[in-house]
Amino acid sequence: MTHALALLLALAMQPPTSPPADTTAAAAPAAAEAPAATPADDDCLMCHSDKELTTTLGNGETRSLFVDPATIKASVHGGALGCLDCHAGFDEMPHPTTSFQTKRDVSVAFQEQCTHCHFATFKKTLDSVHHVAQARGDTTAPLCTDCHGAHNVASPSKPRSRISQTCAKCHAGISTVYSKSVHGKALVDDDNPDVPTCTDCHRSHDTAGPHESDWRAHTPEMCATCHGDKQVMDKYGLSVAVHQTYLTDFHGVTARLRGSRDDSSMPVIARCTDCHGVHDITKTDDPNSPVLKANLQKTCQRCHEGATESFPDAWMSHYEPSWSRTPLVYAVTLGYKFLIPFMIGGLILQILLHIWRVVVNR
Amino acid sequence: MSATYERFSLRQRLEHIAMMTLFTILSVTGLPQKFFEATSSQWIMDALGGVDRARWFHRAAGIAFAVLAIVHVWGAVWEVVVNRSRLTMVPTKQDFRDAIRTLRFYLGVEPSPPRFDRFDYRQKFEYWGLIFGAIIVIATGIVLLYPVLAARWLPGEFIPASKVAHSNEGLLAFLVVIVWHIYNAHFSPDVFPFDTSIFTGRISEERMHHEHPLELERLVSHSSGHTNNAPHP
Repeated sequence: MTHALALLLALAMQPPTSPPADTTAAAAPAAAEAPAATPADDDCLMCHSDKELTTTLGNGETRSLFVDPATIKASVHGGALGCLDCHAGFDEMPHPTTSFQTKRDVSVAFQEQCTHCHFATFKKTLDSVHHVAQARGDTTAPLCTDCHGAHNVASPSKPRSRISQTCAKCHAGISTVYSKSVHGKALVDDDNPDVPTCTDCHRSHDTAGPHESDWRAHTPEMCATCHGDKQVMDKYGLSVAVHQTYLTDFHGVTARLRGSRDDSSMPVIARCTDCHGVHDITKTDDPNSPVLKANLQKTCQRCHEGATESFPDAWMSHYEPSWSRTPLVYAVTLGYKFLIPFMIGGLILQILLHIWRVVVNR
Repeated sequence: MSATYERFSLRQRLEHIAMMTLFTILSVTGLPQKFFEATSSQWIMDALGGVDRARWFHRAAGIAFAVLAIVHVWGAVWEVVVNRSRLTMVPTKQDFRDAIRTLRFYLGVEPSPPRFDRFDYRQKFEYWGLIFGAIIVIATGIVLLYPVLAARWLPGEFIPASKVAHSNEGLLAFLVVIVWHIYNAHFSPDVFPFDTSIFTGRISEERMHHEHPLELERLVSHSSGHTNNAPHP
């Protein structure tokens, strides 16, 4: 019963990015029966509890065939899946012969087993950069088990910092940079639930990155999922106007009108990360922040070659035009707010009077 | 076939056609940038091949517009200084009196409208509105085209202020043309359906009598017959 409870708990704690729909299907019968280990498992363990049990692969690599039942028991699948659920066909004795050349071949072949229960999630991975790498023949591209583990599958986001640790297995450089950023530090030091971890921006199964123009084009929306949320931003004294003011500025308008047409052949149009940084993002008042007044000229120069000291004043720092901050912009805006209706209203009035006179004089 | 008078020189007619073409290009490529949230804007941008290409057209047309403005001002100054033409486009006190009298006539206070010379107050208003509008859009357009260069001489805040002024002035000009100019050139009962004189260069004696009686009187008194050498502005 405790196993069933633990399983249900694990399911309830699943990150929202992986839909539970496909996992519950597998979990339901298990929750009802909740056997600690099927008799079949005990049969398997007769041999596989032997720590010395190995097999030799085609390329001469030895692979351990030892299974620690405690590991499986502690995993999210503990009590739910038996050996044969993943290792189908291995109930035959002797086991069917396989022709695996490398350990990696074994892992690739067994990925298929995950899809039996987690098909929807697996389908999502087909849209990921990792799948693209795999399709190109990159054998290091991650399989289910590379991120989730095999016998030791645990909830990937408990604690949340586990997510970035998982990605760091391959993306160590980026992970180091990230862990020093305002987001990463809060995640690592305080297990802050509000800061984004890798998968919040790059997604978990349909993982995407900046080489995908559509993903890059949606950077502002991505940042705005948190930076446009007043409840979250109020906690940190941050403004939610950042998104809207960006969208109505020249950069934002261009980004929006380009939409997903945007690609690397076009001149770069600044999105959030182009000024604020990406994995190395800092607080805006950090002395190293690229958007700090003292550093802004240099930041502008990345695109605007030769930008002088007064050039960054062209950027209104995510503020709406106001009399106190940008009096000229404010005055011009206000002036036209009156001039246009006054002028056009007057002309329309004169036209109507003219028509009326013509009608009356007929 | 009734007698006609020359109202616009070939140069003026060509300037009008150039102006009309450039104004259309600038409006089509410019307004969707101002109203970027409208779905029709997205549609126009896509039809033009994206915002970057639309901007290229906008900038090319803007530069041509600036050249046209210079050509026009040069021509006007030449006419006045070298050819000693009459200052027919300069607003006078009489124009303000005419405007008030027209309104009084529309409201039924005056029995008849004022009698106009070569250009009435409405035409002068539109002409000078265009001149001042052109100065604003050309100046701010240069700032927006070369923001880095502009910030070398001007405070940085001039750049967003220029953007506000440029787009609003463009919108104002567009609305004046759509509402006022189209009415006066097409829908006004005086000219409906089409005032052709800016394209043919000629205006009928009947319309001269009706719309520019003072000019007609002067022309008649200067020569016994009709003349084809009506003064340029």
